[in-house]
Amino acid sequence: MFLIALTSSAELIYQFEDQQQEDRFYRLINETRCPKCTSGSIASSNAPVSRDLKQKIYELILAGTSDEEIKNYISERFGASSSYKPAVKGMNYFLWFGPFIFLSLIILIFYFNKRV
Amino acid sequence: MIGEIAHFFSLSAALLLIITLLLNTIFFFSNPNSNQLILSIRLFNQSCWLIFVSFGLYIYLAITDDFSISYIASHSNSQLPIFYKIASIWSAHEGSMFLWIVFLALWSSLFINGLDKNNPLKKLTLIMLILVILGFLLFLLITSNPFSRILPFGVMDGADINPILQDPALAIHPPILYLGYVGFVISFSYVMAYLCKGNFKIEWEEDIRAWSFVAWIFLTVGITLGSWWAYYELGWGGYWFWDPVENVALLPWLAATAFMHSLYASSKSNILKTWTLFLGIMIFSLSLFGAFIVRSGIIDSVHSFANDPQRGLYLLGFSGLMTLLSLVIFAYRIPAINSSKPVITGSKESFLSMNNILMVTSIFSIFLGVTYPLILESFSGEKVSIGPPYYNTIFAPLILIASILIMISVDSLWQRKMLARKFFRSIIPTFILVTSIIYIFWSLIKEFSLLAYIGIFSGLIILVAYFIKIISSLKAKEYINKGSAFAHIGLGILFLSISVNSLLSYQKNINLSVGESLRINESIESFKFSNLNVRTASNHDVISANVFVLMDGVSVNLNPEKRKYSTRGQITSETAIHATPFKDIYLNIGDQLEDGSWTFSLKINYFVKWIWLSSALMVLGMVLAMQKRKI
Amino acid sequence: MSFLARIFLILLPVLIFIFYGKVLLIDDKKSNDYFEPKEFPVFQLNNFDGIPTNLDIISGVKLLNVWASWCITCLVEHPFLSKLAESQIEIIGLNYKDDKTKALDWLKRHGNPYTSLIYDPRGDLAFDLGVTGAPETFLIVDQKIVGHIQGELNEDKWKSTFLPIIQNSQKELN
Repeated sequence: MFLIALTSSAELIYQFEDQQQEDRFYRLINETRCPKCTSGSIASSNAPVSRDLKQKIYELILAGTSDEEIKNYISERFGASSSYKPAVKGMNYFLWFGPFIFLSLIILIFYFNKRV
Repeated sequence: MIGEIAHFFSLSAALLLIITLLLNTIFFFSNPNSNQLILSIRLFNQSCWLIFVSFGLYIYLAITDDFSISYIASHSNSQLPIFYKIASIWSAHEGSMFLWIVFLALWSSLFINGLDKNNPLKKLTLIMLILVILGFLLFLLITSNPFSRILPFGVMDGADINPILQDPALAIHPPILYLGYVGFVISFSYVMAYLCKGNFKIEWEEDIRAWSFVAWIFLTVGITLGSWWAYYELGWGGYWFWDPVENVALLPWLAATAFMHSLYASSKSNILKTWTLFLGIMIFSLSLFGAFIVRSGIIDSVHSFANDPQRGLYLLGFSGLMTLLSLVIFAYRIPAINSSKPVITGSKESFLSMNNILMVTSIFSIFLGVTYPLILESFSGEKVSIGPPYYNTIFAPLILIASILIMISVDSLWQRKMLARKFFRSIIPTFILVTSIIYIFWSLIKEFSLLAYIGIFSGLIILVAYFIKIISSLKAKEYINKGSAFAHIGLGILFLSISVNSLLSYQKNINLSVGESLRINESIESFKFSNLNVRTASNHDVISANVFVLMDGVSVNLNPEKRKYSTRGQITSETAIHATPFKDIYLNIGDQLEDGSWTFSLKINYFVKWIWLSSALMVLGMVLAMQKRKI
Repeated sequence: MSFLARIFLILLPVLIFIFYGKVLLIDDKKSNDYFEPKEFPVFQLNNFDGIPTNLDIISGVKLLNVWASWCITCLVEHPFLSKLAESQIEIIGLNYKDDKTKALDWLKRHGNPYTSLIYDPRGDLAFDLGVTGAPETFLIVDQKIVGHIQGELNEDKWKSTFLPIIQNSQKELN
């Protein structure tokens, strides 16, 4: 069923005050996990809850909310696993610094043992 | 009937392998009787043939629509073209496992029969190969039987496979990928044979060199195909998501790349032997681990097969056992293997050693990213998601270090410290040139992201270093290692294109009705939704939008589609892509709103073609490196 | 390579495999045990008659069931919900992204197990609760959310997930 539009609907769906807001929006939706999908961000999902989340993030950015506050807002509702960027706190220090510690250890081991 | 014959052949193959194995273990400690070895190889070849014929019959069953076989009924359909009927065999667990085993048999028989008849490692290699094939074959027959029937009469027609899977690139992606993974079973078995034998005077690197090259090429092409397919089919505009299953596919590739470099050092310079052996074991262990992750369903991913703890347990046990045994033997033999010469700082070997260290760190990082959510949830119940933000952050510094080392090592020498004069002559101009390029780039483009610029810097220093090296080598009529040059230039382009892509690409969500047009931004002056076509194709209905995009003075026609498939009612979205050398215009049609207008998702993706080019260059480099008869 | 390094080389994979074995065999059963209690979100919604919802309805021990007339699985869990509502616990119905007429019609046709109804056509409260679709059910104890089930609520899930929490909270009261 194709209705004939009486008024023009041509527009960008998410319109921002400046480029910075728009960049923040797209970065945030790419970093937020789709709560309903097995895997993937809300940017790449058409699920109703993904659309609601995108709309909400859009509104929050226009209202001047910071990235940090937006992430907290979402994780309060959908859990800590809703962000693809784990918070740097508690146990997660092992996650973020693990590779660096591993690299340092290995370099040390091989600095002292050059016969390999 | 044919199904039963095929099944019988597979069972017989397993039995023959068991017999061959017993034959070799019972008489293991007696004098190696060459007749015994010849007999074993004959039996082995027989069981490989049984596997090939069994699979051939299975293909026949798929082509002739035998829907009394449960697996074929679930994954194929009489309407499918023959090519996709065959491809449906490896679209899920049982069939793809079968294909894996066929390739194992293929590679193994080619390698074993190609070994020189006096090769002292032949027998042990055979035993290792049999153990691996048997492990998977028993897994198939016991837990994942592809031959099981739907009794008494089967079904009338098969369930159509996912329309997303009916794609040529995706159809050949698994076979090519498997040829890669399985190919490294050769190096694994040979390494294990070498370690078990204990005679460290044997020169083993040459024998597996060519085989490893070919396996690496298959692996690289396979991963690239998967990435390319994801880009043009899945519609999200990306090509790599650090999805757990993508990650476990990357792990063996990293180990394999490190292995290839280490093998080079090991055979040329008699150094880094321990590393090479370790990496040879790692590649296969990581492939096994990958198979476990994907097929047990332990981690949620779009890629994973169904959740089945029994299968998971078998695969975990099998991989664990193989890995553990190989590492124990390796650890036991290390003291005897240590080379007599230490690695000299500043020599080519030291750079290759650092390369191994960085690769192993990358492997560790990915492994950590994949396992950490499980660890956290297991101990505290908290859930966490790890995705691109984490991996990009971790890999940026690793890539930077690697690139700096590549840049410096371009002029490095075997077994002695690099000449200081060369160091200053090439490093300083490189830095100056790269910094200038970045400065120019930054002043033209206002976007900034630390990670992206690290990537751009890394890519550029490799490219400029090779550029300078090639020019000076041509002038001085010096030898250039072409394979290495192409491959590393490819790598530099990869780093560069990934970074530019992440920095410059952007997307716009648009809403408009038929006949309307809209100005998007400074460069996209007009987005015009001309008309909408509705039509019916062979097994699906199509809504196709006719769109004209005027970008930077060039008008481009795009036709994104939405399809509804008749068998399962599935709806898919076909992305319209207009690819130019520097950017892709990438358009998806969304939904129709209540007022009759449609939503569109427009993405401008930069440097995508360069990503595919870089992969091609790396493969080309490897092919050239293969041409060198003897190092 | 030192003896210690070699031991480490073997120990690390062993630990990894044991860990994965543990996850495979044991963890699956326990996945629902952990739930961080959180405050029920503030909301201003009406029932089907247009009367604002009194926040008293979320006190005590209650279930909040997210449902809609367009949701097929809701129909599947409906008999069990009705059974629960009769004997065990009061259920509040949160009508999610639905049309009022269709929702009332659905209740008339299949029966109404809910002691109170909240009409959430835009899904505002649902969003604040972290709902991703219907059906979903929340366990509320004294205005705090203490349990959450996604998908159909049945005998098994009731017994394994919600009942233990209810029993625990009753023990704490006593």
